[in-house]
Amino acid sequence: MTADTENGIKSAIAQPPGPPSRQRWRKFRAVAVVLATQATLLALLLGFWEQMTASDKQAAFMFGSPSAIFRFLGQMARDGSLWRDTYVTGLETLLGFVIGNLFGTLIGLSLWYSRFVSRVVEPFVIALGSIPIIALAPIIIIWFGTGLTSKVAMSTLSVVIVALVTSYKGAIGVDPDQINLMRTLGASKFQIFRKLVVPASLTDIFAGLKLTVGFALIGAIVGEFMSSSEGLGHAIFKAGSLYIIPKVFAALVATIALALLLTFVVGRIERLLMPWRQIR
Amino acid sequence: MMGKTNGADAATGAMAGTGVPAVPLVVDRVAKSYEVDGKIVPVIGDLSLSLNKGEIVSIVGPSGCGKTTLLNTLCGLLVPDSGHIRWYGREITGQPQNVGYMLQKDLLLPWRTALSNVMLGLEIRGVAASEAVDRSRVMLDQLGLHGFADHYPSTLSGGMRQRVALARTLVNEPRVLLLDEPFASLDFQNKLLIENDTAKLVREGGRSLLLITHDIEEAVSLADRVIVLSKRPTRVKAVYDIELGADRTDMMATRDNRDFSNYVRRIWADLDVVLQ
Repeated sequence: MTADTENGIKSAIAQPPGPPSRQRWRKFRAVAVVLATQATLLALLLGFWEQMTASDKQAAFMFGSPSAIFRFLGQMARDGSLWRDTYVTGLETLLGFVIGNLFGTLIGLSLWYSRFVSRVVEPFVIALGSIPIIALAPIIIIWFGTGLTSKVAMSTLSVVIVALVTSYKGAIGVDPDQINLMRTLGASKFQIFRKLVVPASLTDIFAGLKLTVGFALIGAIVGEFMSSSEGLGHAIFKAGSLYIIPKVFAALVATIALALLLTFVVGRIERLLMPWRQIR
Repeated sequence: MMGKTNGADAATGAMAGTGVPAVPLVVDRVAKSYEVDGKIVPVIGDLSLSLNKGEIVSIVGPSGCGKTTLLNTLCGLLVPDSGHIRWYGREITGQPQNVGYMLQKDLLLPWRTALSNVMLGLEIRGVAASEAVDRSRVMLDQLGLHGFADHYPSTLSGGMRQRVALARTLVNEPRVLLLDEPFASLDFQNKLLIENDTAKLVREGGRSLLLITHDIEEAVSLADRVIVLSKRPTRVKAVYDIELGADRTDMMATRDNRDFSNYVRRIWADLDVVLQ
């Protein structure tokens, strides 16, 4: 290679603007501003809520108050029910999330293999996808009992169709030119699947994963509503029927925390599995 | 898969059998049409051409004349309606072996580093990993990408990405290269540099190159022969043997040649761009 070419190429690399330390500072500041705004909004909301319920007993009964919610959270943490319920619901959600996504993604990706099969299956998938899973809850309880299994089943069912559809969309969205290139390199259908279709679908698969964290949680909680002796859904349901509104909110806070934790973990796994997306 | 094996056998068989190396590629009266809304639209109509060993042939034609259809047909990605395509004297079903294919889009896999993109073909054919790494590194070095092996495509410039794509094509040591407007999206400077490297690597390796382009200057400066195609249904309108001196690997020198602009003007006139 001539020196000319070498120089031409070296100069062609885009240089990031400014020194790296200044860039990092700018990035940090942008994140800090967003976080501060979010904290302010939350504080305003809670402050307003507290203010409105402090002087009005009826409003306090109907809507609870942040301080009461906080007290209940402390109480639930001390008697251990908070951890126990969160653990139970977390386990149900996690199992449903993993099983549903595993099967959904496997089926969705493998539908890429055969246009015929995917055409045959399509109306069934749409039909299944349109069933409100809540409507299935009574049957699920009859089939799987009132324990962990029925909640995992509810959670799985809430997840599986979404996972199937998103992964299938990812698989059939692969650039046909890219497939042609693989063919001219002599790739077999399985090699095209493994080396091209699966990694190319990862973006869509992870979009599905993030979406289904919530669905898995809803499935588990609805299952607990129907029949259960523990779990956050159970706690919400029980407190609701006893009109202990702040306790309902306390359990909801734990539910939200669980959803945030799961979403965070999925995001971490995404960054780990798709390092090429970090570099821009 | 079967087609590929046939292709390899056909190539070696033809060479061993007769003692005379067969012509790498012969296109004999090929026609291809598409069906659009029930109507048959002829794209290629009765096209014949050949590509000899060590020869660079450029194909130019008015836009939309079915150049890409032609290339896909040659690669076995499309089946012609009639006529014959012979690789080293034999007709093949499926993809011909020892043929490298490259498009305007670099088609690099974003989740693979430059090195591992180059390795793709070797990996598919089951070449041992250590050998694949070594060969790919050498290829990247030859194309001036030393030190960029571990970069992801998203961090490379357009010219560098196209170089990686070229390395991915050449590392398989194809005897024939089919390039479809490979440098069309590059700026002039990068284009000249990569054209130089392509010419050098093709000529030094004794490979044959079929270059589809709409850049007449590129066609003339690289090729031994320029084939001008007609509008659809596409057939050969004119053929020019390009004689621009002995050294054909320096694109700037070639463009300085007195006959260069002459060729360009004549081909331009053939394309009938204004009257189209």
